[in-house]
Amino acid sequence: MNRKLALVISSVLALSTVLAACGGSNDKASQSPSASAPAASSASASPSESEPAKVEKFDISLRHIQVGQAQQFRKAILDEVVKRSEAEVPGANYEYDAVEDSVNRWTKLPAEMAAGNPPKIFDLFGGPGDGQKYAKAGKLLDVTPILDELGIKDKFTDVSTFVVDGKIYGLPIGASSEGLFYNTEIFSKYGINPPKTLDELEAAAETLKKNGITPFAMGSSAAWVPLMMVNTMMARYAGPDIQAGLGNGTHKWNEPEVVAAFAKYADWEKKGYFTKGELGIDYAGQTDQFITGKAGMLFDGTWRASSFKADGDAIGKALAGKVGYVAFPSVPNGKGDQTAVNYNQNNGYGFSADLNDNERAAVKAFIKNMYTDEFQIRGFKEDGVLPSMKVPADQLTSDDPVISKILDANKAATTVFPHFDSLVVSKVNGEVEKQIQLLIAGKATAQEVTDAIQKVSDAERAAAQ
Amino acid sequence: MKNTLKNPVVYWAFVLPSLALYFLFFIYTLLTSIGYGFTDWNALEPAHYTGFANFKQAFDDSDFWVAVKNNMFFLLFSVVLQVPLIVFFSLLISGVKRLQGLYKTTVFMPSILSTSIIGILWGFLYHPTDGLFNKVLGLFGIEPVSWLGDTKWAMFSILVTNAWQWMGFYIVLILAAILSLPKEINEAAAIDGATGYQRATRITVPLIMPIISVVIMLSIAGAMRVVDIVLVMTNGGPAGATEVMASYMVNQGTRYGEYGYAMALSILIFAIALVLTAVYQFTIAKRQEGIEY
Repeated sequence: MNRKLALVISSVLALSTVLAACGGSNDKASQSPSASAPAASSASASPSESEPAKVEKFDISLRHIQVGQAQQFRKAILDEVVKRSEAEVPGANYEYDAVEDSVNRWTKLPAEMAAGNPPKIFDLFGGPGDGQKYAKAGKLLDVTPILDELGIKDKFTDVSTFVVDGKIYGLPIGASSEGLFYNTEIFSKYGINPPKTLDELEAAAETLKKNGITPFAMGSSAAWVPLMMVNTMMARYAGPDIQAGLGNGTHKWNEPEVVAAFAKYADWEKKGYFTKGELGIDYAGQTDQFITGKAGMLFDGTWRASSFKADGDAIGKALAGKVGYVAFPSVPNGKGDQTAVNYNQNNGYGFSADLNDNERAAVKAFIKNMYTDEFQIRGFKEDGVLPSMKVPADQLTSDDPVISKILDANKAATTVFPHFDSLVVSKVNGEVEKQIQLLIAGKATAQEVTDAIQKVSDAERAAAQ
Repeated sequence: MKNTLKNPVVYWAFVLPSLALYFLFFIYTLLTSIGYGFTDWNALEPAHYTGFANFKQAFDDSDFWVAVKNNMFFLLFSVVLQVPLIVFFSLLISGVKRLQGLYKTTVFMPSILSTSIIGILWGFLYHPTDGLFNKVLGLFGIEPVSWLGDTKWAMFSILVTNAWQWMGFYIVLILAAILSLPKEINEAAAIDGATGYQRATRITVPLIMPIISVVIMLSIAGAMRVVDIVLVMTNGGPAGATEVMASYMVNQGTRYGEYGYAMALSILIFAIALVLTAVYQFTIAKRQEGIEY
């Protein structure tokens, strides 16, 4: 009797394991609406083949960072690209692996690179701290031949942060700039005009503060968030070539103009222009501050524009039609072009160097379908992601008022500058992140902060030689 | 059958596979890790032997020593504040007659939850504007505190969360010890006129000293290897204020690709933990062994 029972139990266990395994693949099918496409469409794609195509199924891992509701439009584009690619490559099954942006960039991908098992297609940042480092170690696929073959090599506006020795190791998915979103309702209530100069911006901040509204929504628990504004302030005080100079060592972090930028930021901290307790608030919390009207302004990337659309997420759409956008105003005695805007095309897709023929075909299809005028324009219209490819200028119009304002602001600029993190090594970036939090906490002055960063920068430069 | 099992070849056949796995996955990896501690390995390029450079760097690295200091906070908080509270609560629960099972289950509950969940839950409680704690403070007209965002409060906030998570586990351990004591001793003391307080401090606590010693030991070990709660709640921030040794090591490895240095740090962490537990074992713990009743 006992033996029978054991037999029954063990067969149930064995069966449930098998079923669980099936369930896993079913899950995948229901997750991505495209998974069912390949069988049907690959058959129709090659109807001329006489032998019943014995399609060899294979998985190709695809790491993306389109997690959460704010990323829904980009995820939809990705789904469409995957659907088309699966239809083109017989047997291909693009296996999604969704990971939050900073976890992917700072934790997961570096560990996978070290272990030698990165996904086949993954979200990648360019620059010496990420893409170029992996490319030099031979971990990334040189996509130059694929671009040549597809004839799109010259379609990209700038891939320089992904280039090592003239070879391209990654493709920017789009570009973004950063500027000031403001709540038009709050602004008109207190008679504030969109600020054009630093004085006007500070006056606006004072008015908001007096009326119990936080001037700038800020969530600094992850230090890259406050550094967006600092990056632009550096370019205003020290000129738009400062980031490049800090990257190649011709400029110093503790030169007076950069110190002035940090000092102004510290000054605003002291005056209480930023969200109280910002070091305990994350990026999502920062957006909430702005959306709920607790803060009048938000310095953020243009990618945030899709949060304030009428068909956007449930909370953000309350602000639809009530958001304005201006570039960061000029500062008195600032060096260089004071209309310059930040323009990044640093984030995109990279591919593992370790690919078999099938996977190579799948990568090629992915590139072919993803990097098209169609999706560049759709990304722009739906999501405010600026194109990273040359698309017809007449296509770059938008009904969305926020995106139109972003376009206007960018058109007014004659110069662009990147974010410093695409030009400095990760150790320096890490030090900047630590120091800005010390500055925010009031534990260090602008001079101390920039001296400390310069010290690390010098050490890293010495070690590299 | 009996003779077969006595044959050395047979028991070696059983022991060898697991020994091989043990060496492969534990001893071998441990030795290679130690080896990498003496190199500049960045996991992307071949490693070069650099001697004691990593250890020298660690001794000069003020950020690492901030992390060491934070681990010591964890240790002191656990041993000086937490353990007395654990004993106190255990005595209370052991004294109740009704619903004792409910109390035991309730206090034990947090320790079966995943640290990530606890970190996120407490993150809500600590939220600077919408969190429960600041709402309560607000009722008394007290300015909101940025629990996790203020360098003054962040460490304390994590310590409280960590204590909440693990106290129940230790309470159940000590409770078991208290409940297993012979009832006669307590009853005899009660007949002799000893008050509840006297019985607790003069009889129960001395008798359960060995298990308290174990709890202290586990707290020391726990404080040395704490990392998950920090990574979830603050990731070492703000500005490194809550960085502990292990989180610092993880960041040096994964974020900056300095695996050689991270390995050296892990060796140092091991050494520090070893010294602390050894000191405790040979001084305090030794004197508390061998209580008989």
